[in-house]
Amino acid sequence: MLLILTVGALATPGFISTPSLAALLTSISFIGCVAVGMTFITLSGNIMSLCLGATLSASSLIFMAGLSFGVGPALALGLGFGTLFTAAQGLLVGYLRANPIIVSIAALALLVGSADYLTGGQRIYSPEDSLVPLTGTLWGMPVEALFLLASAVIGQIILSYTRFGRHIHMVGSNLKAARAAGVSIWRTVTGSYLLAGFFTALAGILLSARYGSGDMELGVGYDYDAIAAVLVGGTAIHGGEGSVMRTLLGVAVISAIQVVLLLYGFSQQMQYLMTGLIVLTVIMLHSLGERHS
Amino acid sequence: MISRSPGGDPPAETPILSVENLSKCFGSVDALQEVFFSVDPGEIRAVCGENGAGKSTLVKILTGVHRPDQGTVRINHQTQTLRHPQAAQQQGIALVAQELSLAPHLSVQDNIWLGNRTVPLLHRRPHLRRQARRVLDIIGLDQLDLDRPAGSLTIGERQLVEIARMLARQARVLILDEPTAGLSDVEIERIFTALKELSSRGTTIVYVTHRLGEVFELCDTVTVLRNGKSVRSCRVTEIDRDGLIELMLGQSMREMYPPSRTSTESPLLVVENLKILGWVGDFSLSESSGQIVSIAGQISSGAAQVLRAVAGLAYDATGQVRIRGQPMSLGSVRGAQESGIRFISEDRAQEGIFLKLKVLDNLIATRLGAGFLSWSALHQLASNLARRVGLDDLRLGARAGELSGGNQQKLALGRSMGQEQKGVFLMNEPTRGVDVGSRRDLYKVMRQLCDNGNLIVMTSSDLEEVVGISDIIITMYRGKLVARYARDQVTMHQVLTDITHPRFRPGERKTES
Repeated sequence: MLLILTVGALATPGFISTPSLAALLTSISFIGCVAVGMTFITLSGNIMSLCLGATLSASSLIFMAGLSFGVGPALALGLGFGTLFTAAQGLLVGYLRANPIIVSIAALALLVGSADYLTGGQRIYSPEDSLVPLTGTLWGMPVEALFLLASAVIGQIILSYTRFGRHIHMVGSNLKAARAAGVSIWRTVTGSYLLAGFFTALAGILLSARYGSGDMELGVGYDYDAIAAVLVGGTAIHGGEGSVMRTLLGVAVISAIQVVLLLYGFSQQMQYLMTGLIVLTVIMLHSLGERHS
Repeated sequence: MISRSPGGDPPAETPILSVENLSKCFGSVDALQEVFFSVDPGEIRAVCGENGAGKSTLVKILTGVHRPDQGTVRINHQTQTLRHPQAAQQQGIALVAQELSLAPHLSVQDNIWLGNRTVPLLHRRPHLRRQARRVLDIIGLDQLDLDRPAGSLTIGERQLVEIARMLARQARVLILDEPTAGLSDVEIERIFTALKELSSRGTTIVYVTHRLGEVFELCDTVTVLRNGKSVRSCRVTEIDRDGLIELMLGQSMREMYPPSRTSTESPLLVVENLKILGWVGDFSLSESSGQIVSIAGQISSGAAQVLRAVAGLAYDATGQVRIRGQPMSLGSVRGAQESGIRFISEDRAQEGIFLKLKVLDNLIATRLGAGFLSWSALHQLASNLARRVGLDDLRLGARAGELSGGNQQKLALGRSMGQEQKGVFLMNEPTRGVDVGSRRDLYKVMRQLCDNGNLIVMTSSDLEEVVGISDIIITMYRGKLVARYARDQVTMHQVLTDITHPRFRPGERKTES
């Protein structure tokens, strides 16, 4: 599968050109940060959040609005909002055992509604050009890609080398057994959501910095691409099994397919269709695999 | 018509079901090799064997789930190829599976006809109702309302309805796979009565079980499987318990239970006035380290809930718990663990261990320490623990779900071991679903734990085990303590009387050892 993809990508004219590679890397980075966050939610046994795309948009709006106080406060506001808003959902899911999908849909509606009310559906533009450090290249790499790399490494270290990370695996694998083993369920779940919110807000800030503006359309579809990447990477939809590194691979696969389609001149709709097909295929393969074992 | 010939029985005059030379392998593993046995109409045949002896493979072949590589299955003298489960159903072979398969929201009547291929979808016609009534009467559920939802029945009643469903399908051979796991003694008694009634009406019963006591109580004949072969088939009167164990293990097991000891040290665990809403009225206990204490009781007695409450897993429990004189608050698993409580759940798959995680991850689940993990130390710890409970180091990387029931239980126990602080091990049903060989290993580990200064408090619905392994036996009835005995003061009969029909009001008498 990977081989076919690599060959297919290399055979596509224009794929290895520097501009398109840089474009690929950049677009990977936004989806990637959200996907790293989504990995935590999926691993902790809460399937996915449909709200991360909207959280990304809202963080970008708040970041843009906050720029009037300076870049530092704006960063804190944007990151803080995304992190806390998602952590609050985690609290509902972890403490009250509310259904994670329903909670995320409600949060999505809440977010879209209040954003629309507050901004009147307008874009917020960046008031100054102070965002260059968040958009340029460093050591020949887009800055966004470096942020993704850092997120992934930090995420993986948390999962593999901290007690909290192992608790996420345990809660995702078997909630009751985790409780009997003395794991605090609500702390673990809330923590997973908190991290998801943080990485999503990071993506929102990077994305708005690149476009120089923030609006609620920015994050549309990102939650879906992120869950696709998580699943393609082989993280189990029921939780307990998976890793950030696998998700990264999933992101690479999905993005490569999208770029190839784009270079061949297929429309945006075609890309959505393809992503849908990939997710369905992966879920089918996974179910078949489980039935055989 | 049954002789003592090893490896199977000679053709009986009228066997309803016989298998000859049955073999089945999965990959390189021979699950069954040249298995022979035959059952007469109305016979109750026990099939015994350790885990992995081939019991479930045999059941699956008889019910059409697997097809044998060689050998024949004869039903009423006719060779049958059971290609799929429906074929087995048509031949009158029915399986009452371990996992109950009733639809909880449908009525008893609907459940009885569910999946029956001979009745129409809407099966409310009076004669079907009468027929459902009739099968329920046969198995002793004559009081049961046909319109009650199945979910409101006790587990034992559900098991009986499951049997009734198979009778309604005109089953001539009923296969029961460990039907009494998780049932109280009274319920087991009801099932046995029903099975005996059925057998007297000519239904043949193949009874797969781990519990040797049940073989002698219920069955006429027994077939022992070992390593996929039928070792012997004979009447139960021709064999005794030890002989049966010897056949199952292939070696004599002179001492299943390690010797008992008692302790006079100051109490390690004290529980006072424990109350759990809906379960336990008023329960107290005070036990010293170095002993195995069993709380015996039926499912409704609240014995298991007592242990759950002390482990911090019951939210509506009140009372005082002290460990080494230090008070401990109820309702917090973490707090209980820090006081030295280690809980091993009766429900391994759902609550005990992480089936999807590796053996390694399971062993270190409660031992991660703070902050960053040191994987090399954790590996060391895990292989240490694995060795202590008799698990192979090489299996550390395997998923826990791939292990046998016995090894999973060793895993659950191993996870709690090897801590410096001596503590209290709370074990609900420590050997449920565990084969005889692993059971002996577990008992040995449990005894070692006690010798090292820990205390084990366990519950078990297997009275033989209670009387065999315990130093102290506490009996409970409907949420109250009935009596407390030292092992040599009590017989199995007395324990059974205490937990089923105590002749005094619970809590009035207290026998101190």
